[in-house]
This record gives sequence, C-alpha cells and structure tokens, in this order.
Amino acid sequence: MPASNLLTQLLPELILLVGACGLLFLGATRLAASRSFLPFAGVLVLVAALVVTIRRGEPDGSFAAMGLWISSLTHYVRWVALSVGILILLVNWYLPVQEERGEFVALILLSLLGVLLTASANDWLVLFFAIELVSIPTYILIALSRLDQRAAEASVKYFFLGALSAAILAFGLSFLYGASGTTQIQHIAGGVISLTLPSTGELGSIAMIGFLFVLAGLAFKVAAVPFHVYAPDVYEGAAAPITGMLGFVPKLAGFVALIKLFAAIGWNLPIEIKWLVWILAAVTMTAGNVIALLQDNVKRMLAYSSIAHTGYMLVALLIGPVAGEGPMHDGVAALLFYIAVYGAMNLGAFAMIASFGRKHGELETLDDMNGIASQAPAVALALAICVFSLMGFPPTAGFIGKLYILTAAFSFSADHAFAQPLLVLAIVAVVNTVISAGYYLRIVAAAYVGKSSTPANPTGGFTLRWGLAVCSLAMLVLFVWPRGLAGQASRATAAIHDSVSAAHTVVRVDTDFGNAQVDRTSP
Amino acid sequence: MLTIGLTHYLIVAAVLFCTGLFTMITKRNAIGILIGVELVLNSANVNLVAFDRYLGSERMDGQIVALFAIVLAAAEAALAVGICINVYKNLATIDVDSASQLQG
Repeated sequence: MPASNLLTQLLPELILLVGACGLLFLGATRLAASRSFLPFAGVLVLVAALVVTIRRGEPDGSFAAMGLWISSLTHYVRWVALSVGILILLVNWYLPVQEERGEFVALILLSLLGVLLTASANDWLVLFFAIELVSIPTYILIALSRLDQRAAEASVKYFFLGALSAAILAFGLSFLYGASGTTQIQHIAGGVISLTLPSTGELGSIAMIGFLFVLAGLAFKVAAVPFHVYAPDVYEGAAAPITGMLGFVPKLAGFVALIKLFAAIGWNLPIEIKWLVWILAAVTMTAGNVIALLQDNVKRMLAYSSIAHTGYMLVALLIGPVAGEGPMHDGVAALLFYIAVYGAMNLGAFAMIASFGRKHGELETLDDMNGIASQAPAVALALAICVFSLMGFPPTAGFIGKLYILTAAFSFSADHAFAQPLLVLAIVAVVNTVISAGYYLRIVAAAYVGKSSTPANPTGGFTLRWGLAVCSLAMLVLFVWPRGLAGQASRATAAIHDSVSAAHTVVRVDTDFGNAQVDRTSP
Repeated sequence: MLTIGLTHYLIVAAVLFCTGLFTMITKRNAIGILIGVELVLNSANVNLVAFDRYLGSERMDGQIVALFAIVLAAAEAALAVGICINVYKNLATIDVDSASQLQG
C-alpha cells in the first residue's frame, strides 16, 4: 500500500494532530492577543477535518493498511465525533484561565483524535493506544478546568481508576494475543481470526480470560456498573462545560471498541458472555436511575443519568447486528444512532448548568436551579428540551433513540435462544425509563415551578448559548426527521455485517505453540 | 528436572497483576498507588513477551506491543507526578484519603 495513499485516507486525523500541535505551540507563546483567538482556531481545525470527512463521503469498500481499517464505521464515528466536538468547543469557549486556553483546546482536539483512531484501528496495539489517547487528555482537562481542590481531587481519582482500567485492558489484550497469535483484530480479506478451540468451536480458556479482562477495561471507559464509581465524583469535581465532554467522548470510544471486540469473534458470543452483558446492562441502568433519584446535586444526578444511558446502550450492543435492516431491527445501528443523540443531549444539559452562575461559582444543587426560567426563558426552554430528550419523551430525538433500541429488542428473532432474556431486558429498560422521569422532571420543575428569592443569574458568553441552542434544536430536528441520521447509522454497520457474515471462514493462526501458520478452516 | 514453560510465565504475570491490584487498594499515598498501576501494566508486558516467545511467531508482535506499553507507562508516570503536584498544591498532602470532598 503506497504511503501517500495512507496519508490521504488519514487526512482528518492528520488535520487534528497538526492543529492540536499548532495550538499547543501558540498557547505556550506569550502572545496575549493570540489567546482569545485560540478557541476559534480550534473550531476552524475541527470544521476543516469535518469538511474533509464529509467531502470524501463514505469509503467505497474499505481501506486497510498497517493496523488500520478505514470502513463505513470509521466514517460515521468521524463525523459524529467531529460535529459534537465543535459543539464541545463552543460550550468550553471561555472555560479555563486565559493562560491555559491553548493547552486546553489542544487537549480537547487530541482526545477527539483518539476517538477517530479508535474507529480506524484494526490492531489491538493501535486500539489500545487510541483509547489511551482519548483518556489521557481528559485527566489533564479536569485538573485545568477550574482551580479548586475539588477539580484536583476529581482528576486524581479519574487518573488512577483510568490508569488501572488501561492496565486491565492491556492485560486482557495480552491474552487475546496469546489465543490468536496475532494482534490483528479482523482479517481484512474476510473471515474471523480464530479465538476458538479447534475441537469444540468454543472460545478457548485463554481467549475467555482475555475477553473478560478486555470487557472489564472497556466497562470502565463507558462507566458501566460496577466500574462506574469514579463517574459521579469526577463529574461533580470538573467544571460543568467539560463534564459534557467527559460523558460523551470516552463513552463513544469505549462503545466503538466494544463493537470491534464483539465483531472480532463474529458476534458469536458464548452464552456466558451474553448473560454477563445482560446482567451488566440491567444492573447499570437500574442502579444509575435509582441512585440518581436520591441525589440533590444536579451534576451528580446527571452523572448517574449518564451511567443509566450506558445501560440502554449495552442493551443495543447485546442485540447485535442484524444484516440488511435499519436501526429498528439492527442493534448496532440503534446503538450508533443513540450515542450520537446522547452526545448532543448530554452536552446540552451540562451547558445549561454552565450558563447560570451564583455568587460562589456554578450551580450545584436542585435548589440553586429554582426560578431560572424567569431569569432566562430561552435557556430554560433549551434545558427542558435536552432533559426531556434524556428522559426519552417525545417530541425529542431521545424518544426516537429509545424507540429504536426497544423495537430492535422486541423484534429479535423469536426462534433465537436468547430472544426471551432480551425481551425481559427490554421490559427492564421501559421500567427504568419510567423511574428516570422521577428525577428528570425534578430538574424541569425546579427551573419552571421553583421559587427563589435569589435566583441564579445567566452567565456565559454567546458561544455557550449557541452551543446549547444547536444541541436542543438538533433534538427537535432529529425527532421530526430521524431518517437522515438513522440511514447513516445503518450504513455504518455495513463493515460489521461483512465481517460477521464472513464468520464462517475462520482464519486460524495456529497456537500449537512453536508452530505458527495460517490456514483456512470451516467449522 | 523442571522445565520453565509458558504456564510459569503466565503465573508470574498473574501474581504481578494481583500484587499491583492489592497495592492499589491498600496504599493511601498517591505515589504508592502509581507503583501498583505500574505493576499491573507490567504484568501485561510479561504476558505479551511470554506468549510471543512460546508462539514461535517470527513477527514479534508481542514484543513490539510490550515496548510500546513501556513507553506508555513512562508517559503515564510523568502525568501522575504532575497530577500529584497539583493535588499537593491544593491539599498540602498526597494522601488520597484526605481528598474526600466529593461524596454523595
């Protein structure tokens, strides 16, 4: 594969990388005038990368070289991450102290670069480093986001748990390498790299150990129970605008990596793994929603809400790909649709918190939110839209997202052995949506009905308002016209379908230690 | 006569992993926790190199991944020290138990 071809394929990533380095450099210079210009330059870099991605369009076929595989999934994740990335920068425009703005914007860009590379990775090494590239900037972003003890505490908690999850992920990947004899994720020419025992067709014990550790490492990234403990503390400690990013960017990378992990074995999950993910999904959404009911701090409440949303997305992941269908039946397409919608509505909810201030910093408790609708009706309306969308209430895109996941679960082929448990899981999800109304409505009620003698004042610049407005408008537009995004999401799964349907060809890298060879066998 | 095989290396790696996890849970000093993380990360390296050796592959994928992981561990240690200094500036200690404002 000629190197120039690879570089053109990676143009969006290269733009982000060069832009981030340039901003880092500009931020370190002592040009005071350049600093107010830095967030604008960051947006320009993202727009350039987005224009390149969209102009290129979906890749016809896929392009593979050197541990990368540019497929339809890559294209979808690229443009979703870059579009939400622009909104994230708008919301974070004025965030850190001026001296650190260059580093701050550059770190956001690097984290997004990590998401893009996760989507292109076809080698466990590349995938692992891409996920680290997503996480490491976020540790610093939290510490930079505001200068107080709580941000320092949040960053140290997030760092140590994040580093542990990375180490667990590496440990698991080492076992997957041992089982398959290669670090490649998918065999490009079609077929699945064998992780199964030749005699039984089941995952070997080494592969099973690896699979479980990788699942645990990625569960940290997506904040699934019981690996969620950091989320509420971190979300409370970090400044509100950057929290909107923390809830979305690592989660997107984590779910893309989970999709790749499951596709690597042809979505032919052993029954134990299926039940494990089932329990993970059920416990994550239930615990997230129930604990959120008990919170008084709005940011902690939204942190538990983001944990609950991980649970809904795990349901979609468990349904898995159904070839030739839209997100109404295809679990992966529903997941990709949901996570894009979730990114915007979650960011909108946190942007709302950032757009009000009290005497001593930002909004904290529900009581602080009393009466904000009378202070800024437009912002309160945007808040209501985003919160209704999180709740999954029409007329918002959150409703469509939940609808897709539920219909996919209900229409799961009835003759399949796992159809019954999936049905139960879908019912658990419906019950959870009802529970979640209990706390989402408290937020809206505080804003509109609550009375306060000293209501919080609107703060924040016009970019924050624009970011919030776009987020809430997107929720309404995607409710009226979800087919655009849904079509994109179902086309994005083409690469997954190809590899899953090719699962009958198993590429066996022989693991009779000392005797490595590649041959094709059909089970 | 005992010959050292793949299993022995895997056991060493598993012991390293558990030691690292135990260190993380019991140490209250941030640097101590960092040492625990490094142990867990290095257990993966032992695994990778051992699998690579016993797979008899000529591509040496595992050893290359281990090299990359060592560089990652160095970068992470630098970041950890930076975060510890930040905590020390705010709390005048790096005992993680004293960082307990965020609860609920």
